[in-house]
Amino acid sequence: MRKIIEVTGLQKRYGAVEAVKGIDFYVEEGKLFAFLGPNGAGKSTTINIICTLLSKDAGTILVDGHELDKEDSAIRDEIGIVFQESVLDPLLTVKENLMTRGSFYHLEKEALNQAINEAMKTTDIVNIANRRFGTLSGGQRRRTDIARALINHPKILFLDEPTTGLDPQTRKTVWKTIEQLQKEQGMTVFLTTHYMEEAAMADYVIVIDNGMIAAKGTPAELKEKYSTDSVMIEPKNREKAIAVLKNNHIEFREASDLLIVDLAQTLEALPILALLEGEITSFQVLNGTMDDAFIGITGKEIRE
Amino acid sequence: MIIGLVKRNLRIYFRDKASVFFSLLGVFVIIGLYVLFLGDMIVGESEDAFPGFRYVMDSWIMSGVIAAASITTTMGAFGIMVDDNAKHIMKDFKVAPIKRWQLVLGYVISSIIIGLLMSLITLVLGELYIILQGGQLLGVITLIETLAIILLSVSASSALVFFLVSFIKSQNAFGTASTLLGTLIGFFMGVYVPIGNLPTGVQLVVKCFPIAHSGVLLRKVMMGEAIERIIDPVLAGAPEGVFDMAAFRQSLGVDFAFGSYVMPTWMHILVLVVTSLIFYGLTILVVSKRKAKDA
Repeated sequence: MRKIIEVTGLQKRYGAVEAVKGIDFYVEEGKLFAFLGPNGAGKSTTINIICTLLSKDAGTILVDGHELDKEDSAIRDEIGIVFQESVLDPLLTVKENLMTRGSFYHLEKEALNQAINEAMKTTDIVNIANRRFGTLSGGQRRRTDIARALINHPKILFLDEPTTGLDPQTRKTVWKTIEQLQKEQGMTVFLTTHYMEEAAMADYVIVIDNGMIAAKGTPAELKEKYSTDSVMIEPKNREKAIAVLKNNHIEFREASDLLIVDLAQTLEALPILALLEGEITSFQVLNGTMDDAFIGITGKEIRE
Repeated sequence: MIIGLVKRNLRIYFRDKASVFFSLLGVFVIIGLYVLFLGDMIVGESEDAFPGFRYVMDSWIMSGVIAAASITTTMGAFGIMVDDNAKHIMKDFKVAPIKRWQLVLGYVISSIIIGLLMSLITLVLGELYIILQGGQLLGVITLIETLAIILLSVSASSALVFFLVSFIKSQNAFGTASTLLGTLIGFFMGVYVPIGNLPTGVQLVVKCFPIAHSGVLLRKVMMGEAIERIIDPVLAGAPEGVFDMAAFRQSLGVDFAFGSYVMPTWMHILVLVVTSLIFYGLTILVVSKRKAKDA
C-alpha cells in the first residue's frame, strides 16, 4: 500500500502550550484512518496543519507526494475537508453554496456543474438543493458539508469530528456515506473522533493524547493489546469461592456480590470455572472493548 | 474564482435585510431629521427672497446624503468579511486553492458594487424627494458628472473603510464601529449642520476628512445647478453686494476655503484619488505582512 500522507516529527505550540509534541505517522491510500483522542489532545491541530490551515513549528509532512508549506496549492487541489463546525453560508441555498465554493477550484463551468450534481447525489441532498442552508436540519447540513468537501474530487477526505452533535439516527446515515466513499470510490478518509464505536470501524487507529501518540494499530490490535478480557462470577458461597481462588493463586477483584478475574484470553476462563464448579450461581465471560482499550491507553475515560 | 466570490458576497449582503438597513441607517437618520425639522429651519425665510429656495437646500442635503451613503454602505459590505473571519468561514476559503489576493479583491469589488448600487438608489430617492418638494430634475450633463463623482467617492470610501475594517476581528467590534460611523457621518460630511455653523476647529476636522470632499464635489454639481436655476436669475437684476455668494457657498460646504484660499475642483478630485491609492496601498501592506497561515 502506498503512503498517501506521511508525517514526521510534527510539532506545534501555542505560546507556552505544546499542542503537538513531535508525532510521526503515515496514512495508507484508500484506508479509513481514525484519529482518536479526548478533547484538547491535539487532533484538530494536527488535521488543520495537514490541511494547510495552520503553520507547524517543526517536522515534515508529505501529502500525496507534495511537501507541505512548499506545494500548498497542489495539496489544496487534492483534499476535501469537513470542519467540526459548519462553514457554509446560511443565507445561500445548498446549490448556491456548492457553486460558490466550487468556483475556488480549477474547474471549467461544465465540469463544476457535473461535480456538484455528483456530490449532491452521493450525499443524497438533491431534493434540498434549493433550500437555504440556514433552514436545514443538523443531518442535512452535515451531508451538505460533506458534499462541499467532495466538489473537487479529493483524493483524501478529512473529517474533523463529523458526527459530533448529531442524533444517533443521523450519525448512522452520515457514517454510512463516509464508509461508502471509502469503500466504493476508494477515497482515503482521515477522520478525528471521540466516539469509540466509530474508531472501531476504521482500518487503522491512532490514539493521541496530550499531543503525543499514545498507541496505534488496527482496532483489533488495540483491543488485543490494551484491553483485557475477564470473567465475572456470581458465587453461591462467597467465602468458599474466594478460598478456592486464593488456594490456586488466582488474582481477582470484588465488585458488589461478584468476583471478577482478568484474563489474557477468554479461553483461560475454562479452567477457573472448572475449579469453581458447584460453587457458582452464574458467570459471564467478557471481551475487551475499544472503550477499555482507550481507558487502558490514556488512563482516562473518554469525555463525551 | 473572483466572480464566484463576488456573486456570493452580493447575495449575502442583499439577503440580509438587517445589514442593508443598518448600512443605510446613517442616511435614514439624516433624511429623517431634515424632513422633520432641519429642512424648514435651514430654508427659513430665504424662500421669500428667492422663490424656490427649498430646491437649493434639498439639493444641498441630498448631495451630503449620497456622499454619506457611499461610505456607510461600503462599510456594510465589508461586514461580510468580518463575519467570514469571525465565523471561521474563512478557513473553508483558505483550504481551497484560491489565492489570498483573489479573496481580498473579491471583497473589495463587492463593496464597490454594493456602494455604487446603494448610492445610486439614494440618488434616485433623493431626486424623487426634490421633485416632490417642487424642485427640478438634474440636467443630463450634471447627472453624468454626479455619477462620476459617486464612482470616485465609492472607491475612496471603500479603500478607507477596508483599511479600518482590516483591523476589526469580531462582529461586535464591527457593529459598534459601523453604528459609530453611521451616527458621526452626518457631522463629518457637514450635513446635520451646515459647515459654516460649526466652530473653526470642527470645520478643520471636516475639511480633513477625505470623504467630505466627495460631498463638496456633489454639492458643486447638484446644488450648483439649483443655484444657477433659482438664485442666479434673482441676483442678475439686483445691485452687487446684496448677497454674498462666496460666503453662502462656503458656509454650506459647496466650497472649502482655507483662509482666503478656495480649493479648486481638481484638488477635491485629487484628494479622493490619493485617498484611494494610499488606503488600498496601506491595506495591501497590512494584509501581506500577516502570515499566510494562522491568521
